[in-house]
Amino acid sequence: MKKILIIEDDNVLSEELCTLLRNSGYEASRVTDFETTADQMRASDADLFLLDINLPFTSGETLLQEFRKTSDKPVIMLTSRTTEIDEVLSMSYGADDYITKPYNPTILLLRVSAVLKRLERSGSAKVMYHDAEVSGVKGTLTRNGNEMILTKNEMIIFQLLLDRRGEIVTRDDLMTTLWDNNEFVNDNALSVNVSRLRGKLAELGFEDAIETRKKQGYVLR
Amino acid sequence: MRFSAYLKDRLPAIIIFVVSLLLSLIFLRAYHVITEALAVLCVILTAGAFSVFFWDYLRKKPFYDKLQNCINELDQKYLISEMVTSPDFLEGRILADVLKDCDHSMCDNVALHRREAAEFREYIEMWVHEVKLPVGGLQLMCHNDGNSKYSEQLKRIDDYIENVLYYARSRNAEKDYIIKKTSLKRAFIDTAIRYREELQERGITLSTENLDMDIMTDAKWLGFIFSQLMGNSMKYEATEITVTAEETPDSISLHFRDNGIGIPESDLPYIFEKSFTGENGRTHTRSTGMGLYIVSMLCQKLGHSVSAKSVQGEYTEIIISFGKNDFLDVQ
Repeated sequence: MKKILIIEDDNVLSEELCTLLRNSGYEASRVTDFETTADQMRASDADLFLLDINLPFTSGETLLQEFRKTSDKPVIMLTSRTTEIDEVLSMSYGADDYITKPYNPTILLLRVSAVLKRLERSGSAKVMYHDAEVSGVKGTLTRNGNEMILTKNEMIIFQLLLDRRGEIVTRDDLMTTLWDNNEFVNDNALSVNVSRLRGKLAELGFEDAIETRKKQGYVLR
Repeated sequence: MRFSAYLKDRLPAIIIFVVSLLLSLIFLRAYHVITEALAVLCVILTAGAFSVFFWDYLRKKPFYDKLQNCINELDQKYLISEMVTSPDFLEGRILADVLKDCDHSMCDNVALHRREAAEFREYIEMWVHEVKLPVGGLQLMCHNDGNSKYSEQLKRIDDYIENVLYYARSRNAEKDYIIKKTSLKRAFIDTAIRYREELQERGITLSTENLDMDIMTDAKWLGFIFSQLMGNSMKYEATEITVTAEETPDSISLHFRDNGIGIPESDLPYIFEKSFTGENGRTHTRSTGMGLYIVSMLCQKLGHSVSAKSVQGEYTEIIISFGKNDFLDVQ
């Protein structure tokens, strides 16, 4: 389980962020004493840091600068400031991404998983689903020499389900991910895409791979 | 200043002189002064008086003429005191001093109001950032509890907050933007996601074409512009939004088109004006007449141009032209 450390001085917000991340299968903890934030960051074994810019005692930017001297773990900056200057500054200090308040929870989770995945990918092998090879580049699923071509939408859906395999992925999350990829589908189109994907998976021999949970979403088994 | 006007202004003085001259003549006549002497006296006094007036006129004319010229030619009339050089006659000096004092006090007053306005704007900006915290907290709570009923209203609150922020900023935007290479597609997608639920609820289909371009702009402001346009489309009953970009040798123009109720031809020239709500504003109560005004102001500050085309009952199309920067290719 990936560990995430939240450094955010607004109590309500950081608690809710914690809940959000825990609900999505991360191990989240938060900094509550801001006098020693820098030390806590250094001592933490988290895989990812969510760092607010406006903090007591010191600013997030300074913290990030300090932190970058000793570590290159991923950091996502959080802020209610919406000026481009902050964004450019944070990025130049070595932030991996930047999210402005109020966050869209789905987008926040997408960014978190994207940053974590980017890190993993650097050393990882092929992406597999059971004994089938998934190629996002080619947009194909290959099993025992059988190659199944997925459309762009189907691939996006399949990859999100695969990333969160065994968990419920809501239609809302699927939709946001699709829109994030310039595919502005509506509710019906999503259903059609999911059922086509089901069909294609069945053809490869994965019967009932995608399970529907009524009013909750889908689970890939 | 014409001499006749000057004399006319001195009419009472002239009458007094003439009357006193006549009285003196009658008085001297009573003492049997000879007529020739009276005539000479008459000529000398009249010539003297006339010379006094003429000399006075010549002394004042340049000053007042210059004053009038300056005020006619000046763009900012209040700068007149800077143009006035103190003349060598009393009235003029008084006038120049008064003008200077007046100007000084006005400058103080303007500075005071500027400072107040700036402070107020800063406060608003700070407030917006502060209020975003509880809004953000509530949004996360809604998401964690799986309650979407409230998040819709929160979204509306958030939109209005954004509106205030951008209005406060558009006044002195110079300080607050970074023009850089921005992906048109990315900016549009980010806005689209923000409005996804609302768009789907209203059954609005979205399509884009040819957005894979980079433009020189400030991404956040562009995002705000998109959100205003999208908000309008939703407000005015569109079911389809099409966004396309078009490249010409010296500009890139973005066409944001919807099939909503459209804008009456008579209203079209005024839609970018402040507080203009037009006919649609009367039939659709949520109009404030601020959205497009802020959009046009932001575009102006960013160096883009914005225009609109519409046929009532058919479509509305907002066109934003981004100038092309040659440096973009050099990079």
